Amino acid sequence: MRVVKESKPKTPEEALTERRERIEKAVELKEPDKVPLILSSCGDLLRKYITGHDLYFNYEKAREAVIKFVKDYQVDMFLPVLGAEGFIFALAFAEYPDIAPAVRFWSGPMHDILKDKFTKWPGRELPEDSIFQFIGGQFMDIKEYAKFSEDPIAFVNEVILPRSCINLEKIGSPKANAALIRLGSEASKALKFLVDVTVDLANVGMPSLPLTSAYAPLDYIGDFLRTPVGVLLDIRRYPDEVKRACEALVEPIIKVALALKPAGAKYAFIPLHLNEYLSPKLYNEFYWPTLKKIIITLYEQGIKSFVFFEGWHDAHLETILDLPKGWGVALFEKTDVRKAKKVLAGHTCVMGGIPSSLLLEASPDKIKEYIKNLLKEVKVGGGFILANSVEIPKDVPSENLRALIEVVEEEGRY
Amino acid sequence: MSLEDLVEAFINLEEEKVLKNVESLVKMGKNPYEILEACRRAAEVVGERFERGEYFLSELVYAGEIFNNVMKIVLPLIKREIKPLGTILLGTVQGDVHDIGKNIFKAFAEAAGFKVIDIGVDTPPEKFVEAVKIYKPDIVGMSGLLTIAYDAMKRTVEALKEAGLRDKVKVIIGGGRVDENIKRYTGADEWADNAIVGVKKCKQMLGLGG
Repeated sequence: MRVVKESKPKTPEEALTERRERIEKAVELKEPDKVPLILSSCGDLLRKYITGHDLYFNYEKAREAVIKFVKDYQVDMFLPVLGAEGFIFALAFAEYPDIAPAVRFWSGPMHDILKDKFTKWPGRELPEDSIFQFIGGQFMDIKEYAKFSEDPIAFVNEVILPRSCINLEKIGSPKANAALIRLGSEASKALKFLVDVTVDLANVGMPSLPLTSAYAPLDYIGDFLRTPVGVLLDIRRYPDEVKRACEALVEPIIKVALALKPAGAKYAFIPLHLNEYLSPKLYNEFYWPTLKKIIITLYEQGIKSFVFFEGWHDAHLETILDLPKGWGVALFEKTDVRKAKKVLAGHTCVMGGIPSSLLLEASPDKIKEYIKNLLKEVKVGGGFILANSVEIPKDVPSENLRALIEVVEEEGRY
Repeated sequence: MSLEDLVEAFINLEEEKVLKNVESLVKMGKNPYEILEACRRAAEVVGERFERGEYFLSELVYAGEIFNNVMKIVLPLIKREIKPLGTILLGTVQGDVHDIGKNIFKAFAEAAGFKVIDIGVDTPPEKFVEAVKIYKPDIVGMSGLLTIAYDAMKRTVEALKEAGLRDKVKVIIGGGRVDENIKRYTGADEWADNAIVGVKKCKQMLGLGG
């Protein structure tokens, strides 16, 4: 039996091993010693330490901010996601496993180099102390579905990149070539930053997830080619074209995800967007079949998926049971994790449960009470990770974050 | 060809049929205001289906698109002035450039009979204040998807207070990540995390039932 308060402080190595095992056990649907607590940030939370602009444009300052945060708040894992959605580029280079992962997430300088129209950045198109935003755009015409589906990789390289990145407007021009060389050089810096952060975190006893990434095909079309609203109208007006395009994307997306397998990637992060928008009928027709194929193929290749189910996923919860038991981790945003746990217990590791709005507005006691009641219901049997479901706002009081960590220590033990 | 057919086709989201019906009705000399009213009734039913969980966001998006397309045909034909239920000043707050939710809300608010003045995305508090002075809306609707929007919403409410305008308008915040906690934090009067509830609350705030 484990004692609640341990007197001897752990070395970083011991802490790292303990935390990693805690998380792995939960993913394996077992009961760890304690419910793992994972926090993540795309930027807002880290603005506690530096401006939004520095966070994405200055790798060294960003590193310092990450370390400050984990020293201040000792959680089991902290996931800083400090790059914008660049899966369009990863897919463009799907045939090149050495390049695809390096351009998967865009840093601020990469945006400067490409002058892409997908993203907006603090200190550029947005106020200095904002966070980066992915806005996407319509870069493919309705008539081009067939051509896209014939060869998505070629189409993205030849048509979409020139339309969506000002500095790649003319393929083969000195400007475009220079941008690609600069992008390669910057990508190595961005990659080094990611490695450095992993080492920094390990030095203070915090594990990192060996991540690769994938994408739901319909989201790919919505985010990078037709806009979300555009693709939602396309599935009404041109359903067959959309389906064919989704199917054509499966293989290239799997290639991108497997690119990091030799480097030891164990989890593929897949953020979903349109899931909430679709009725079960449309979800099962246009969204789930190709996404399911990707998740299952990766699972068979030894890579579990780590899926962010954005918004309400209630209407599609049961479809997760189509996947093989232990396929991965399901992070929920608005779907109640109590409900998810009931449906998915013994099949899927459920993650989430901390409402950011509660952290912002409630008192430490209220937060403790909320999490205590939540854990009582969801921790039984293991297979649960407590995590923030959306970004934590910068203005969340420190005492509220401390209350969160304390209550997991007090009530999270098995 | 009747208004009832039009309403039914709209509720079932049969876009082509709706547009054909509208064109035929116009040709037949049907009062365009009655066509507009029929589409409003249909949009209301779409909203009810959404609330019952039979329709999802994609159906709202599609219904909004159909409604906007009908309006393109019908509005230029309506000669007399239509008195709106009230005026809503709508914008995505400073620092946030997302507008899908804002646009769905706008379509359904217009369908319900509101006049909506859309001042765009990444809207600084000063711009909201200026627009309130110019348009004198009944309601200020602040939209935002990101968590950075919470603070911008709060600052906008404060700016309205400083300008002495806070008690002249009702304030509603909208977005996928707002709730009762965020309503309190920002000092708004109401919140909605979907367009249908948003429109309902706008009606309620003006004492129009809903």
